[in-house]
Amino acid sequence: MKKNLFRIILTVLFIIAAVMYIYPTYNDYQINKQLAGLKGPDSLDFVTKNAEKIRKARDGRIKLGLDLKGGMYVVLDVDVIKLLQDVSKKKDDPTLTQILNDLKVVAETTDQPILDLLKAKLRERGLTLKSYYGEVRDDEAAVEKKLSTEIDNSIERAVEIVRNRVDQYGVAEPQIQKIGGKRIIVELPGVSNPEEVRKLLQGTAMLTFHILKDPEGAVKIMQAINSVLVGKEVTDSAKKQADLKPDSLKKNESLVSKDTTAIKESAGKNETKKDTTKTGKKDAVKKDAVKKDTSKTKKETGKKDTAKKNDTSKITGDTGTSIEDSTKNLSEEEFKIKFPFFYLVRLNEQSGTADGYVREQDKEIVDNILKREDVKAVIPSDVMFAWSQRTFEAGNEKIYSLYCLKKDAELTGKVIEDANSNIDPTSNTPIVTMSMSSEGSADWARITGANINKRCAIVLDGVVYSAPVIRTKITGGNSQIEGMGSVQEAKLLEIVLKAGALPAPLKIAEERSIGPSLGEDSIRKGLTSSGMALLLVALFMIVYYKFGGTVADIALIINVLFVVGIMASFKATLTLPGIAGLVLTLGMAVDTNVLIFERIREELKSGKPLRTCIDLGYKKAFSAIIDSHVTSIITGIILYQFGTGPIQGFALTLLFGLGANLFTAIVITHFIFDMMLEKGKEISYG
Amino acid sequence: MRLFENTNIDFLGKRRKFYVVSLAVIVVGILALFFKGIPLGIDFQGGTEMQITFQDKMEVSDLRNAMDKSGFVGMEIKSMGSDKDYLLRTPLQGEGQTVAEKIQKGIKDNISNNNFEVKRVDKVGPKIGAELRKNAIYAVIFSLLGILVYLSLRFQFVYALGAVIGLFHDVLITISAVAIFDATFPMLQLEFNQQMLAAFLTLIGFSVNDTVIIFDRIRENIKLFKNEDIEKVMNKSVNATLSRTIITSGTVFLTVLVLFVFGGEVLRAFAFTFGIGIITGTYSSVFVSSSIVVDWKHHVIDKNKAKGRPKLSTN
Repeated sequence: MKKNLFRIILTVLFIIAAVMYIYPTYNDYQINKQLAGLKGPDSLDFVTKNAEKIRKARDGRIKLGLDLKGGMYVVLDVDVIKLLQDVSKKKDDPTLTQILNDLKVVAETTDQPILDLLKAKLRERGLTLKSYYGEVRDDEAAVEKKLSTEIDNSIERAVEIVRNRVDQYGVAEPQIQKIGGKRIIVELPGVSNPEEVRKLLQGTAMLTFHILKDPEGAVKIMQAINSVLVGKEVTDSAKKQADLKPDSLKKNESLVSKDTTAIKESAGKNETKKDTTKTGKKDAVKKDAVKKDTSKTKKETGKKDTAKKNDTSKITGDTGTSIEDSTKNLSEEEFKIKFPFFYLVRLNEQSGTADGYVREQDKEIVDNILKREDVKAVIPSDVMFAWSQRTFEAGNEKIYSLYCLKKDAELTGKVIEDANSNIDPTSNTPIVTMSMSSEGSADWARITGANINKRCAIVLDGVVYSAPVIRTKITGGNSQIEGMGSVQEAKLLEIVLKAGALPAPLKIAEERSIGPSLGEDSIRKGLTSSGMALLLVALFMIVYYKFGGTVADIALIINVLFVVGIMASFKATLTLPGIAGLVLTLGMAVDTNVLIFERIREELKSGKPLRTCIDLGYKKAFSAIIDSHVTSIITGIILYQFGTGPIQGFALTLLFGLGANLFTAIVITHFIFDMMLEKGKEISYG
Repeated sequence: MRLFENTNIDFLGKRRKFYVVSLAVIVVGILALFFKGIPLGIDFQGGTEMQITFQDKMEVSDLRNAMDKSGFVGMEIKSMGSDKDYLLRTPLQGEGQTVAEKIQKGIKDNISNNNFEVKRVDKVGPKIGAELRKNAIYAVIFSLLGILVYLSLRFQFVYALGAVIGLFHDVLITISAVAIFDATFPMLQLEFNQQMLAAFLTLIGFSVNDTVIIFDRIRENIKLFKNEDIEKVMNKSVNATLSRTIITSGTVFLTVLVLFVFGGEVLRAFAFTFGIGIITGTYSSVFVSSSIVVDWKHHVIDKNKAKGRPKLSTN
């Protein structure tokens, strides 16, 4: 029958898709099981060999919610009252402090905007907003508008600051989410130190400007680090790689040499971008210079593409040491052993900089190297290394840049008065303008004047957001940064610059931490009880509806497969209420089958042939099934809309389950019965 | 195997008696709520809550002493099923050094030789609590509205109204049951939190499902038995679906029972609430929702008779 053929194909396709989506989760589970059985060096070996496989499994697996895994869930509110205190030009004015303290009490119980409350309080005392937030000649409405935008924008800054810090903290799979325009939800799986997290999230952001160490000096420092590594025991991973057996090495080698070219290429692109990034005096952009610069870099990039793969080692020679000759013809693995640091931190000879390029997975290793006491000893005390905030793609890999900066900040972000991202109308490229206070401008003029053609890193909480080249001495305090790759990048830089200028104080509105043992406990109990319930119901169905019940059970299993598959494809998070939702949809699935089977039994009583009875049973039960599912879907959607966190997980599995259920109960079971009939089999509904 | 086949029970004839039963239960529940109050979890009222497991046996009185000494006089302390697991709760949230840390310090300072592990800490600010409360109420109201609209479209308005009144009934009775059980069996840890909200919305979904299936059969039977009395037709429909009603409610109840017993403390409150909901939801489908429809139809027929229009529209 054609109708059945279509149904079968559809079902098989769905099942294949579900299995494909579930496979990474299974794979991840297997890998973890294998890893748990391996000891120290073996597990490291295993991880190195299967890096790609592990990553894929991890990306595709169904994520577990905090209630199952343990960790912290924090809801942050922008502390508007503190913000109002911080942005006031009379910060320590006792009257203002008094008013804001009063406001704190009032704000707890009302939903009115705090700015309105503040206005009312000020009016009571015969004061105005501009007496604290503007100049005498300012228009009161304009001051209010400015303050109101300030409050609105503070959440953007806060999100960026929080994201930056959470990234640095190194939590796996953190979730940072802005909700409702004024609140940030941070989920940190596996974190169990609330105090540390609190400090991390609530501390004041530090924006600083650092001049980059000159390339020659930087390379020398890196060479010194390399010597330390060669002289002593190399990092675990580097050592591991050096110790690898020949055949596994081959695999690795191909991976690395492929990566090297990829890094070069993309690094070149990156440099093109960097070179055009320049800080210049407003209205004094030297277009020609920029153009020339770009074309030159491009030419170099092209030249470099044809260069041999051992380029990287050459730059170490460039600085005049004798390594050059000896390294020229090194193979990858020899290079790896002789220059472990430069193996991890790739330099680009042609860029004329000493920015190190590090693959995402090597970042932690490099961090650990830089933290070692013997390594620290060779890094001059006035120098520090800092990571780029962004990565760029080279081939399939994400690459971080490692900058060598002068440790002492030239300037802090406090001097920034304003920053704005724009599109430059003449060149049609994104730019960021920034203005400084008069005091800051004087310093800035001195700094820029002394460092023309050097690069200046913009660093927020220790992470480099941009490192433009200083083109001219900037005397007026108005600077323009250009050469950003995209409008988003410019916008981010604006937010970062503002974060230095303006605080975004946060307060913790909600905090939940779940210990890992509780998580394990609840997942075990949740899963075993769900499994038991399912088994009982399945048994009952077979006893009560005989063959019909068996088919219903098959549909039930397919249903579970579908729901889990859909969850995996949506990258949804499984929570404990989610498991409960799954169990309940299975209850609904059973109900649908019961409904159909009862109808078929009724029809059978009237003595009609089996085939007619089955078709009639499905037909007559249909309206009830649709109506009951739609009403449940309505509640599910509303639950998703109004619930938060775990409850949304519940609603989501419920919705997925209801959808899967309609398909399995109406399509799959029906065609199984049809096929049985065609083969002339007897079907018993108990 | 067949259960409840060919039943012919006069469910709707007894509806007046069951109205009294429902009202009585609701009155008792409201009294319980009035005297006991709804046990709000910290999700909805704000505060700090900690779940702690001690290494060795711990007396409640010792723990209370320790808390009193460290400034948490009258703190809520609940045992969680064993003399090692405790739940501590206070409406305080604290700024700076937070309440949770003070509690930990209080235990460390006053109780020696018994290490403990903090299994869970929840802190909810008052504003968030109020917001979650508001959202919970919205969620319930909007889902009832959504159901009202959809059922009005698929059936008649009076059916939709009957279904929604039935749902109100279920929610009220379940809230009452939670209040009563919380007062009598505190170890169940029943309180209104987000999980409980999920349970309520699930029971709404389940109960309306049950009602819809009976209504569906009434819709069908009204067309088949056009000249019969509405009460008879509805009784027939309830009897026809009885087998399905009992089997589905039974299996889902079984599922929930398993979750209640073996699901651990996180699922327990959910399973309890939903379990109560299954019972009242099944009951209300017949004795509230369907009954209201019958009474309304009788009312309309009486009115029409008075006006000399005996025919009743069936659709």
